[in-house]
Amino acid sequence: MLRVLKAGMQTTLQGRPRISWRHMGLPASGPADPLSMALANRLVGNAPYETSLEISYGGFEARIEEACVIAITGAPGEVKVSDHPVDLHRTLHLNKGDSISIGPPAFGVRTYLAVSSGFQADEQFGSRSTYLPAGFGGFGGRALKAGDLLYPKKPPCPLAECKTPDHLRPVFSSSFALRACASAEFRSLASASQKTLFQETFITGRQATRMGITLTGHTLNAENDSLMKSAPVFPGTLQCPPSGAPIALLADAQTTGGYPRIASIARCDRYLLGQIRPGNRIRLLPRSPDMAEREFVEKRALFSEWFQGRFVF
Amino acid sequence: MSTTLSATRIADDAFEFAVSDPKEAQALAAHLREAKMADDVVAGLNRVAVYFDPSATEDISAWLQTIEYAPRPNDTEARMIEIGVTYGGEVGADLARVCEMLDLARDDFIGLHTATVHHVDMIGFTPGFSYLSGVPKEWSISRLGTPRPRVAAGAVGLSAAYTGIYALPGPGGWPLIGQIDRPLFSADLEDPFLLKPGQQVRFRAV
Repeated sequence: MLRVLKAGMQTTLQGRPRISWRHMGLPASGPADPLSMALANRLVGNAPYETSLEISYGGFEARIEEACVIAITGAPGEVKVSDHPVDLHRTLHLNKGDSISIGPPAFGVRTYLAVSSGFQADEQFGSRSTYLPAGFGGFGGRALKAGDLLYPKKPPCPLAECKTPDHLRPVFSSSFALRACASAEFRSLASASQKTLFQETFITGRQATRMGITLTGHTLNAENDSLMKSAPVFPGTLQCPPSGAPIALLADAQTTGGYPRIASIARCDRYLLGQIRPGNRIRLLPRSPDMAEREFVEKRALFSEWFQGRFVF
Repeated sequence: MSTTLSATRIADDAFEFAVSDPKEAQALAAHLREAKMADDVVAGLNRVAVYFDPSATEDISAWLQTIEYAPRPNDTEARMIEIGVTYGGEVGADLARVCEMLDLARDDFIGLHTATVHHVDMIGFTPGFSYLSGVPKEWSISRLGTPRPRVAAGAVGLSAAYTGIYALPGPGGWPLIGQIDRPLFSADLEDPFLLKPGQQVRFRAV
């Protein structure tokens, strides 16, 4: 059992994305960086989408009130157990009375804390993931606050300590190269803007949430079709609003939108969106959908032995 | 009559069909959903997108090439629901401006809006948000220049010849004309959604 002492800017419980409800307006939710969350779960013997803590920008502290086994991955904030620094990406056995703190990361946004067996959480629409705008899933549908108690689903059982192999640890910096495919309304971009999209470096704007990230630095000209009707959008969709600053959608993305859908961040790199912070540099690398699909299969193959073939992201 | 449809790939993990209207979009989406081949099938107003896991073993693109779809009536269409609306007031703060733009007296606007049989063309954006067609095409009011930071749940808006109902509190850019008398979305209910695509709606001034 963990008692939250400091919750940080935004800490939520996230599990499996919510699928099969988008047609009623329900976003996917789930981890903004599913790869990092899966890596944390792997170190404590869980399935990849077992419910874990997603901690944005660190500032998290908790007291251990019953022995538990945890692991921490994702954005590399300084982690201390009872004031002793410990590494990310390893199994940690904590005892009653220990404290754990996660400092603000120098790079990336979201740090994941998994506990063996997973955290207890509210299930709604087939998923335990928190969706804050509607206030359901996770911990009563809200972000955690100081004083909240988090219970693992089961008491800990003996677990071999392990570490994520070095070559499988994602490394975050202030620059991101994301593979992307042209999408339904790519041709609504003026030809110069079509080139800009895939040749220039964008800067992340101040809007960088679980719903979306704004890309600034270059203004795109899209044919301003005020008659374009609301059409489906998904995590990864890149929309171009009239301002010309495209928006990349994340896990909590709305289900439909009326702006041109100019591109889609390829599934193989989509987990990186969860680690991009305001001011970071972003390059989009053009891919055909077939190529992006092959690269996704290759990336999964890289992780399949470590995840025993169980990871889908 | 049956139609052969062709899907466009809009992402490495999504295909999309173009259709002519919301009714066809909803019917095609329901048909595709029944096959349980995709993670999600989402209808827009004239698009239907299929979102899938590209590493799944089923060959989605081969399946989508076989879709021959004969439009059929939506079974929820016949159901009519009456919903009370408080026109104007604190939530419907743009009613006077909307009436002015349409050159209608307030009572005439309310009379026309309540006499209209509205049709749920789409649920989307956020959980339960409903797009209702039915008002005259000339009621093509544009969105607010600057969206409101907070719109109440149940707020009724009017834009681009659609009546829109906000299911959740949050930011919103539709000019607002009133508020409905019951929740549109209640996560804890067995049936969380008051409205379904294809349903008919009549408003009653309260």
